[in-house]
Amino acid sequence: MPQKKISLRIDGELVNAVEGQTILDATRASGKSIPTLCFLEGLSPVGACRLCMVEVSGIDRLFPACTTPAQDGMAVATTSARLSRYRRMTIELLLVERNHVCAVCVANGHCELQTMAYNMGITSVRFAYNFPRLPVDLTHPRFVLDHNRCILCTRCVRTCAEIEGAHVWEMISRGIHARIVPDLNQKWGDARTCTNCGKCVQACPTGALAEKGKAMEEMVRSTTAITSLAHRRGAAV
Amino acid sequence: MASAQVSSENAEQAFIDQIITKHSGQPGELLGILEAVQERHTHKYLPLETLRYVANKLDIPLSRVYSVATFYALFNLEPQGDNTVCICRGTACHTRNSRALLETLRLELGLGMDDAEEGGDSDKLTLTTADKKFTVRTVACFGQCALAPVVEINHRICGHVNERTLQREVRSLEREND
Repeated sequence: MPQKKISLRIDGELVNAVEGQTILDATRASGKSIPTLCFLEGLSPVGACRLCMVEVSGIDRLFPACTTPAQDGMAVATTSARLSRYRRMTIELLLVERNHVCAVCVANGHCELQTMAYNMGITSVRFAYNFPRLPVDLTHPRFVLDHNRCILCTRCVRTCAEIEGAHVWEMISRGIHARIVPDLNQKWGDARTCTNCGKCVQACPTGALAEKGKAMEEMVRSTTAITSLAHRRGAAV
Repeated sequence: MASAQVSSENAEQAFIDQIITKHSGQPGELLGILEAVQERHTHKYLPLETLRYVANKLDIPLSRVYSVATFYALFNLEPQGDNTVCICRGTACHTRNSRALLETLRLELGLGMDDAEEGGDSDKLTLTTADKKFTVRTVACFGQCALAPVVEINHRICGHVNERTLQREVRSLEREND
């Protein structure tokens, strides 16, 4: 059955899309970009990071582009003073929440959070840092989990559940106490369900999940590998 | 002794199986199952072994079960005391000085105020005395703000509580236990 064609305006430009596509899909297909952190093509969108918020004309509140379906006749604004204010604040609050020290991070220079902050010209943070006391899990033979660098995007959770099928990771507690843990809050090395595939490490946008033996700035990852795996899996099903 | 332990474990597993059959196929079945299992436990909590058993029986990931059990404040992962005193820390009760009630109770039961700096006054606090007789909890709101400050003692709501009446209630519970 041919999918229904729809058209919408993105930043004033008329864009064709297919019914069922999200605003983010339609925008990226037309060559424009919307900043995202928790979104990774191939994984189900969750709308956790709130960076992809867009304005839809006629409605006062903002919508996350990654989970909002595009509709015929919709007019979307992906940039505005209000949106940049919100996005900037989102990044600042992410930086404040944990101990993000770029200078000594394995992902320095390859970090999506850092890149996002650079692109928005964030040179300082207006809020007080939380400085939470968080553990680092070194029990896995090949990988490291550093809660200090985690932004709770749940990419690792979704990669593990949807692509590897092991579902080792899950978010526990809530609010400021939320953390990503394997199995029953065990050490990663003791998690029996983990297949040691390392896909979560490839999906992580920051230095929270990294390979052992990498020094600072050495953790270069391939999120496209996750996307192509997902596409291959989708083709097989 | 060992055989008694094994038989109680078997009884628990039989109970879990029964609950799972009752709830099976319903959306959100995990919540109802965990609630029933916790309610049956002598110390009103969910031991890790129970979570593991439930996950295996329902064929869902261990991490999902643990996530649900930690998201909801009413699930306990630690053994609870025989009596539960739950103090409301909602806005209305706070303005009626429920913090003083919490502090008095903690001192009365010898729970100390060590964590008062960080999280000791948070809206999700669970403390159990060493002799496992009392558990002190906080809650964000009971929805009984007209009765502020509200304290729930063993699932009985007490309104307009002051430090003296709270002390009296706790002492009478202590006597009952002896």
